[in-house]
Amino acid sequence: MGKHMNTNIQSGTCNSGHHLSRRSLMKGLLTTASGMAVANWGALTHSQSIAAEAKRTGKRCIMLYMAGGVSQIDSFDMKPGRPTAGLFRPIQTKVAGIQVCEYLPNMAKHADKLAIIRSMRTKTPDHGPGGYYMHTGYHPSERFPHPEVGSMIAKYCENPESDLPSFVKIGSQSGLYGAGYLGPQFDPFTVSDDGKLPAFANPAVTSEIQDRRGDLLNFMEQRFREQRPGEPFAAHRTSELRTIRLMKARKTFDVSAEWEKAKQRYGNSDFGRACFTAFKLVQAGVPFIEAAHGAYDSHNDNFPVHKACFQELDPAWGSLLQDLQDSGLLDTTLVVWTSEFGRTPAINFQAGRDHFGRAWTVVLAGGGIKGGQHYGSTDRDGFEVKENPVSEADYLATIYKAMGVNYKAKHFLGSRPIRATEKGSTPIDEVLG
Amino acid sequence: MNRLACCSLSLACLLLAASLHAEETLLRDVIDREIKAGWTKENLTPPTKSSDTVFLRRIYLDLVGVIPSYDEATAFLKDTDPKKREKLIDKLLADPRYARQQAQVFDLAMLTRSHKLVEGQVGYRNRGRFREWLAKQFEANEPYDRIAGKILQAEEDGSQLFFAVYNGADEMVTAVSRFFLGTQIQCAKCHDHPYEPWTQKDYHGMSGFFVRTMAVEVAGKSEVTNQKGKQYRVGEKTVGEALFSLEKIDPKTKKKETIPIPPKFLLGDVLKEPETPKDFVEPKLKPGEVPPKPVFSRRAKFVSWMTAKENPFFAKAAANRFWAQFMGRGFVHPVDDFNSQNPTSNEPLLRAIEKELVAHKFDYKWLVREIVNSEAYQATDLGNVTDAMPKFYERARIRPLIVEELVASLHVATGLPLESALKTEPTKDMLQYLGEPADGQGRFQGSMTEHLFLHNGDQFRGLCRPNKGNLSEQLLASTEPWETKVEKMFLSVLSRPPSSEEKERFVKYLSVPVKEAKPTSTPIEEAMWVLVSCSEFRLNR
Repeated sequence: MGKHMNTNIQSGTCNSGHHLSRRSLMKGLLTTASGMAVANWGALTHSQSIAAEAKRTGKRCIMLYMAGGVSQIDSFDMKPGRPTAGLFRPIQTKVAGIQVCEYLPNMAKHADKLAIIRSMRTKTPDHGPGGYYMHTGYHPSERFPHPEVGSMIAKYCENPESDLPSFVKIGSQSGLYGAGYLGPQFDPFTVSDDGKLPAFANPAVTSEIQDRRGDLLNFMEQRFREQRPGEPFAAHRTSELRTIRLMKARKTFDVSAEWEKAKQRYGNSDFGRACFTAFKLVQAGVPFIEAAHGAYDSHNDNFPVHKACFQELDPAWGSLLQDLQDSGLLDTTLVVWTSEFGRTPAINFQAGRDHFGRAWTVVLAGGGIKGGQHYGSTDRDGFEVKENPVSEADYLATIYKAMGVNYKAKHFLGSRPIRATEKGSTPIDEVLG
Repeated sequence: MNRLACCSLSLACLLLAASLHAEETLLRDVIDREIKAGWTKENLTPPTKSSDTVFLRRIYLDLVGVIPSYDEATAFLKDTDPKKREKLIDKLLADPRYARQQAQVFDLAMLTRSHKLVEGQVGYRNRGRFREWLAKQFEANEPYDRIAGKILQAEEDGSQLFFAVYNGADEMVTAVSRFFLGTQIQCAKCHDHPYEPWTQKDYHGMSGFFVRTMAVEVAGKSEVTNQKGKQYRVGEKTVGEALFSLEKIDPKTKKKETIPIPPKFLLGDVLKEPETPKDFVEPKLKPGEVPPKPVFSRRAKFVSWMTAKENPFFAKAAANRFWAQFMGRGFVHPVDDFNSQNPTSNEPLLRAIEKELVAHKFDYKWLVREIVNSEAYQATDLGNVTDAMPKFYERARIRPLIVEELVASLHVATGLPLESALKTEPTKDMLQYLGEPADGQGRFQGSMTEHLFLHNGDQFRGLCRPNKGNLSEQLLASTEPWETKVEKMFLSVLSRPPSSEEKERFVKYLSVPVKEAKPTSTPIEEAMWVLVSCSEFRLNR
């Protein structure tokens, strides 16, 4: 390898020398084009039958994560005229029977795309555990290395030919839970809040030198691994290979030229740029992108906090849906709007709302989701779910099913089989097209 | 536990107790006997002994937090004394770097890398004072029960960071019980624990010891705080109770009623304390001030309970934690989670270490010496086991270098003086990109960001490039044959000589003339980069 020098480091090209063959990885044959073996995470963690089942679905997912806990009553489950209503007024959307907050006018225009699930009933009113539960479908107290949703989708929906990471996390406010038992190759690749790569993603040496020293590194790693199959060594080698590939494809993250125009629609905010970057990454074939927004944790001054957040959220989310539609990607791209929990219907003495998991809202769109509907409901004041409660695992099972991922897939850690989502969880078929 | 297991366990303990009475029995031998028994029981192939080169690198990193220099490595490898490992261990335990390294490890285990302070993060600088204080304790080989007591008393200058980090009774209860008692009782804050004996009364009872404790930042002179980080004072009020919310709603406030819970030792008695005078008024505090020392300190009572010989948690948690520090995995894993659902992998050995640790008055250095002199610690890095931390220690554990070790080792590897290696602090970038390489379960994850940084960040490249008398520059200037230079490189970076195949390959790489007129790097820099970037360097095995 390395005899042919590749000086082109634009997106879409790759140097065979460092190219980890994803096809052979899927088959459990763990060599690279240059014969360098990498961690057999696949065979280590799931059975042959699952490996055979794993296939490209061609689907993508963008998760918009409202960090801190977003208020359902002030967004999609409004209670006008009730004591819990708060200060915001509802507005009519283009779909009869669906109203949203006055500070979400763009979403009112896209209401026909939205499946609004108003009956989330979740178990953890603390940020850390709540975020963990909503990302993995399991309670953190199990102390078991469950993968987060992005890692699971990366595993089953990744494009084996892509040089881009299969799971990009824009900003880390949504928490980093990791690939757990799926192995470090499905770990999130984290970029800054506005979607930019760190400065040192730019190669410091020419590609000739990179290839030359890469050869020497491979030589060292090959000899070293012969009697040392330890997981940490494998993790180090796998990350190295993926990094080389990423450096070759890094231009995809650079949206600055188009951003000048796009920011008028998305709003000139970090989150706006994050959503636009997510759109470009989906176009380039990245199967899962998570973008975190805001500090919604409004124990004090709930209304100004939510108003300010929504004014950034609304144009960004709306333009994302619009661009996906215009480019024909909406049918294959699921857009999830979520959080670690909702906020209390009751307004506290500091005009704030506190953490609340008993009855709150998430929203799905695109990716074959049947839009223009509510699923589930809460009682008059929003204290309890009235119909169709949805658990963390049901919610993830719905996402997995929409993505063509078997939510019952069993993975093995040692001899213990672990389902993608826990037993008893069911996807919401009513929102799936 | 079934009866049979119970029987064999108590039998093993009896035998063990009997054997420990024999004067010559060293703990290291007990360790090896019990670990071997584990291998037999689990039907595992016993590992061979590690090679000298592997042992050398392992013991340097574990005891003094940095790889051996070229001179240190060659001296050890040339030594023909059959007792050379024991000799090296004694030498390193007496090395000033030992205290520094143990302080780093304890600081990180106790405070973690990213915990929030009273305000902002525990900046690297803020740890400085705490680490210096800890290092003094390890230098003097202060007994561990005393170190623990002093951290919780938080009176000595530099010792106060624990309460500045874990501010508020809930955080204190969680941190103290996890680190010092090896238990997680935080669930019992909201409900009685479903499997464990503790109840909400235990949780809030423990909270009562800490509810009056407070940490404040001392308004220091900026020339001091800029250099050495912020200073804190910890004080204790005379009044204040842990409150427990009942299900009953107070008709007046419409909130759940709360009642005060008296301090209660975990699984033990309620604290007997004198009544506070009814007319007592807590003095008003200015910013940066702590209350005067209370006549009766609840926290002091907690410390005496915790560090008492008969405390049911403390010594066991310490034995397990110290073992895990060197062996990768505690008998109970994770180390801060003793519970009935989390079985102990080798109960007799844990008990033996606990008992001996108490008998040796919590002599940390003694225990470390016994552990690292055992065959179990000195096991090979080779074999088919993939787990980073094999459950029955059937292969040496593999751990990533903490970023402090990485920085110091990079300096030593690239031929810079030890002094600069120990003085250089990790940069903000290194802390961010290499600072937390493991997931929450302690498994190394090696992110792409880390590798991007290795490739293109300034630090690694700057050290590999011929510069300021470093190894690359020395080798370029030298007229020695390339074979000798490659040997020197390998011994400097990987603490071992190259294999003949490696030597040949590197010589070929290095002796090819550079074609580019203005090269962005040179073969010597690239070869050094390869050696510091490979998994062999990144991890301790």
